[in-house]
Amino acid sequence: MSSEHITPHASSAERRACQLFKEAQLDIHRRTDRLFAGLMAFQWLMGIVFALWVSPLAWEGTTSRTHIHVWAAIIVGGLISLFPALLGLLRAGVPSTRYVIAVAQMLMGALLIHLTGGRIETHFHVFGSLAFLAFYRDWRVLIPATVVVAADHMVRGVFWPQSVYGVVVASQWRWLEHAAWVLFEDVFLLVACRRSIAEMKHTAERTAALEREVRTRQEAEIDARSARARNDAILDVALDCVILIDEQGRIAQFNPAAERTFGYGADEAVGLDLVDAIFPVERRQPMREALSAYLSTGDTALLNQRLELTAVRKSGEVFPVEIAIAPISTDAAKMFAAYVRDITERKRIERELATYTTDLEAAHETQRQDAEQLTALVKELRVTQQRAEEATRAKSEFLASMSHELRTPLNAIILYSELLQEVAQDEGNTSSIGDLQRIQSAGKHLLELINGILDLSKIEAGKMMLSVETFTVEAMMHELVDTVRPLVEKNRNTLTVRGASSIPPMVGDVTKTRQILLNLLSNASKFTKDGTITVDVRTCAFNGVEGIEFAVTDTGVGMTAEQARKVFDPFTQADVTTTRKYGGTGLGLAIVARFCDLMRGTIEVESRPGQGSRFIVRLPRVITDAASTSEAA
Amino acid sequence: MRAVWLWAIGGVWLASAVAGLWVLLVYENKPGENAHTKAHWPTESRLARVADRPTLILLAHPQCTCTRASLAELGEVLGRAHTQPKTYVLFLKPSQFFDGWEQSDLWRTAASLPHVTVVRDDDGVEAERFGAVTSGQTMLYDAKGELLFSGGITGSRGHAGDNAGRTSLIALLDHGTSLRRSTSVFGCSLFSRAES
Repeated sequence: MSSEHITPHASSAERRACQLFKEAQLDIHRRTDRLFAGLMAFQWLMGIVFALWVSPLAWEGTTSRTHIHVWAAIIVGGLISLFPALLGLLRAGVPSTRYVIAVAQMLMGALLIHLTGGRIETHFHVFGSLAFLAFYRDWRVLIPATVVVAADHMVRGVFWPQSVYGVVVASQWRWLEHAAWVLFEDVFLLVACRRSIAEMKHTAERTAALEREVRTRQEAEIDARSARARNDAILDVALDCVILIDEQGRIAQFNPAAERTFGYGADEAVGLDLVDAIFPVERRQPMREALSAYLSTGDTALLNQRLELTAVRKSGEVFPVEIAIAPISTDAAKMFAAYVRDITERKRIERELATYTTDLEAAHETQRQDAEQLTALVKELRVTQQRAEEATRAKSEFLASMSHELRTPLNAIILYSELLQEVAQDEGNTSSIGDLQRIQSAGKHLLELINGILDLSKIEAGKMMLSVETFTVEAMMHELVDTVRPLVEKNRNTLTVRGASSIPPMVGDVTKTRQILLNLLSNASKFTKDGTITVDVRTCAFNGVEGIEFAVTDTGVGMTAEQARKVFDPFTQADVTTTRKYGGTGLGLAIVARFCDLMRGTIEVESRPGQGSRFIVRLPRVITDAASTSEAA
Repeated sequence: MRAVWLWAIGGVWLASAVAGLWVLLVYENKPGENAHTKAHWPTESRLARVADRPTLILLAHPQCTCTRASLAELGEVLGRAHTQPKTYVLFLKPSQFFDGWEQSDLWRTAASLPHVTVVRDDDGVEAERFGAVTSGQTMLYDAKGELLFSGGITGSRGHAGDNAGRTSLIALLDHGTSLRRSTSVFGCSLFSRAES
């Protein structure tokens, strides 16, 4: 490899060696430049000192002046020294600097020869300077130095041979002899420079190789450290116990999960015999034999599989574990990795699960039996319901036919009792009028009762049909007021209807609507004395449809909450005294409630004893045929 | 552009340094004023000339550093020549300087040379008698007082080593004859211009 010339295909090590060599070379050049800068200054100062010491003054009789040697040492010496000294400091390492220094050093030699009075010994300065220049380890720097020496000798040999050769007369070619001696030294210095360069190259190559080796080792060390850290991190966060065991079965590594599970600290556990540390006495021998068998014969009977065993904590507590031991091949020795999982909780859950399963199976059996019983009951219920429906239908049919059969003679009774009253009045038989009136009243009550029962029966039998038509609420209310007015006035009550005029036409069953309101007003008139009865009519929205709300409010006797709750049941009045006191069949409100249901309306009651009652009826403003048909069905 | 400036500065620097060295070279090869020597030993001289051998006289300025080379060369001459002349080294001692001023390291060097007599030349009286004006001026007289050689015995200012003066002196001492009987003298002036 040439450290000075690197091909584009050179390896990185070669490039690095070349770089190191150049750095070292540059460092030497710089240091030598600085050394020469100091030497130049030193030589300059020494020249001045020498001149001042040896020839300070030139005399002319009794007068003296500074010797020209002193001026030469100062001026010429400074001229020779300062420029290269500055280059050595300011441009250290640049080739031209050392070439200038080489020339200057030889010129300084020439000056010193003058200053020493041409002493032949001063010539050693030349050889010393050449050796010093070899510090650069650059043989090329010897060339300008040698040229200067040769030129100096040649010129002096011509003009002043004594100053260089020590003789008055010398051959004109004698400078060649001197130059040859200089070259002779140059050869040795050249060899020394080349050897030194070769050694520097070798050192650079070795340094580069060493750096590469160090870098490779550092990278490998970093990789190994990272891998170890990663493995340690994995072991640290593992939920299962991971225990590394050496060939002798001693614990080599004990992760935090193992510490938590077995109660040993890692420092404490490392070095312990695994079998002694974590297995109960009765399990130790088989485990030891399994490990020995693997080490001696490679038998892996108990290795590489999950086993459920019992282990023992440091505290002596025995607990179930799932354990898997796997052999690990490492460069150093055979090792084992034991993966241990505490399955105490799992076992407990399994036990509880088994209990739950048993209980569940028993419950399931009970449920199955209940279901069978329920099925049987449902069947019976269906039969019973069928029978009840049939009975209800039969009852309704009976009632309908009975009512029809009863009403015919009853109408006759009422009619004839009325006729008889008229006859009695005409004949003046006033004594029988009271009895006839009672017969008529009882007949009407009975007819009313039968009509109510018939209506109720029809509704329950599903035979009550809606007769849908468009009508105005205001007209209906006028008609209703006229009808109910005698009842209202009977107990000296006042009736007020509000809001009916602004209600849009209603599409529904006007007869049943009127019947609902008539029943409510009848009740209000009946249970109110010297009070007021108010009917508030307004539009409303309920159950997602547009509706009309009729609120009938009275200032009558009112009801308790308990009474209000049962007021819509058939044959039910507020209490038993009510029937006696106020009369009635107990069917009016039941029919009202069922008519409301039939028309998909609602009815509510608000009442307080002694303060009156308020019945709120909400009916759809438009009852569709589908609704009526469906309900009718 | 920066490189051009650097090269230019480097060129100027090199030229300046070479020029400085050249100036130094020229200075060191510039001889001093030649002596106005007489062909015979000056009778007014107080120096005692010997009659059986040549007499060598070197006149020196005690503080002239260039003369150090001349003394070295004198030692060479005396060492190499088979004939030992009567040798005097006269050191200038101007009267305005304190006593001992003349006893510089040159005095001690000269005194250390064998067969050399060091003499103090008060106010350069003897130098004037021998016509010497430049330190390092060397004269050789034969036994009869005839001047054989007059000049310097260094090749340049302050530079010891092979030179024509030394060669001539040795030849004259050993063989009585020489191709050159006078050479340039390199050294400080013995007298100031006013004195001259």
